[in-house]
Amino acid sequence: MDYSIINKYLVGNASEAEVKDIFKWIDSDLENRKEFIQYKKIWALTAKTTVNQDENWNTISNKLARPKKHLNTINYWRVAAGFLLVFGLGVMMQYILPQKSQQQFTYLAETWIEVPLGQMSNVVLPDGTTVHLNSGTKLAYSGNFNSGERLVTLEGEAFFDVVKDQEHPFVIKTNLLDFKVYGTSFNIQAYPEDKVINTTLVEGSLGIIGKSGSEITRLVPGENATYSDDDRQLQVGKVNLDMYTSWKDGLVTFRNEKLKDIARKIERWYNVEIVIKNARLGEEIYLGTILKNKPIDQILEVFALTSSLKYQIVPRANERTLIYWEYKSN
Amino acid sequence: MAFEKIDLDDFFLLRFKSGDELAFEKIFKSNHDQIVGFCNQFISDRDKAKSLTQEVFLNLWLNREKIETLNGIRSFLYTYAKSSCLNYLRHRKVISKYEDKQLQEKEEEINREVLESFDFNSLEFSELEELIQKAINDLPEKCRQVFIMSRYDRKMNKEISEELNISVKAVEANMTRALKTLKSKLSEYLPAILVQLIMHHIS
Repeated sequence: MDYSIINKYLVGNASEAEVKDIFKWIDSDLENRKEFIQYKKIWALTAKTTVNQDENWNTISNKLARPKKHLNTINYWRVAAGFLLVFGLGVMMQYILPQKSQQQFTYLAETWIEVPLGQMSNVVLPDGTTVHLNSGTKLAYSGNFNSGERLVTLEGEAFFDVVKDQEHPFVIKTNLLDFKVYGTSFNIQAYPEDKVINTTLVEGSLGIIGKSGSEITRLVPGENATYSDDDRQLQVGKVNLDMYTSWKDGLVTFRNEKLKDIARKIERWYNVEIVIKNARLGEEIYLGTILKNKPIDQILEVFALTSSLKYQIVPRANERTLIYWEYKSN
Repeated sequence: MAFEKIDLDDFFLLRFKSGDELAFEKIFKSNHDQIVGFCNQFISDRDKAKSLTQEVFLNLWLNREKIETLNGIRSFLYTYAKSSCLNYLRHRKVISKYEDKQLQEKEEEINREVLESFDFNSLEFSELEELIQKAINDLPEKCRQVFIMSRYDRKMNKEISEELNISVKAVEANMTRALKTLKSKLSEYLPAILVQLIMHHIS
């Protein structure tokens, strides 16, 4: 069967003779019929027309049943007064707000904690919250932490064990999303260069806040949310918690992760540069657990034993050590 | 589960359920063209596809209180579109597109089969939509460009060939490749075999 004819048919450009050929092919074998049905289904699910939407919207909007409102004179005045009030407030706000925010900024002297590549660190914040910081991570907390406002900014990966305080939510700002919690433990991965934010909730409840300020969703324990800036989609799913949180104990499980993604993590942990010579090797899926506190050559040895890669270490004078990954030659 | 970030708001769903027309307008405008497109695959009369779509949305509005999740909206729309199309195909005599009446019958029969084998059950459907999106994203660059221009931007092969500076033949080849790849990736999520169909072949 010439598949371009099927394509032509689906677009609606096939001649009658061609359509005849297609149905002859469909009728000749149940497998062909099945195949065709699948093409047609994909076609239908990716179909989109370009029509005058406003016109269609007007047609339907006229059909919606609406409760009729009777506005008497008093109500008109109320509405008018309401408008005036809102308008008045808006004008007043313009005068009040800038001054207020200026005042606030003077309080916001930030304390930055930075964990260099290849190291990990623990911090206890003024409110007793423990934060495990993974390598290459920056965490900032504001000066008025003591007065109850719990706000931190995170770049990198951290595991939070937040002290309960119903009155003062703990807010974590990252480059793409914010998180709001009231006492809970969870992991957040938000390296700015990754353009992806990954968070996993261990216990408690965790609100994910969009940059517009509204709550996008709320996680329950055992759930993981991944937000990617590229397609602007947030995916929520159940996960095995160990996979996302075990790094803080030095034990890392890779569950069906691509070697190229693993390479990026190893780069961070050990402050090395990994170059994967074969693109296909990078796409290979890996499953296994490693102890991260071991020296890099031992880790690489584990990978060499358990996957199809072999490695080569190239020490460099004033730069990160370079490591090559490539297919083992048979 | 995957949602558009903006849509991802319980508040939005609540507004819609409580009868906020602005929320409904947003749902209408972000789904309308796809539903017309879907119906149009089975009912070649564009105006008919449009009026069926109007019915679909009107019914969504009337049943808004029963919608449980944001994903449920699309699943409702497609389920309703499916049954409206089936109803139309069953009960109305369609004017034949082909001189050969038998060919028209065959086409209608397979269209009914395709429609009947769709499962728009809420959870699985949003999973499927996500898989389709992922499969499209994973297509080789040219292939993906051609597919998106053709399917989503509704461009003719000739326009695509001019814009991408490739031959019409190459556009066709890329479309075929895209379709084949998507089919092989999504095959198990798009059941095609029905009891009715098997019976048909035994008899």
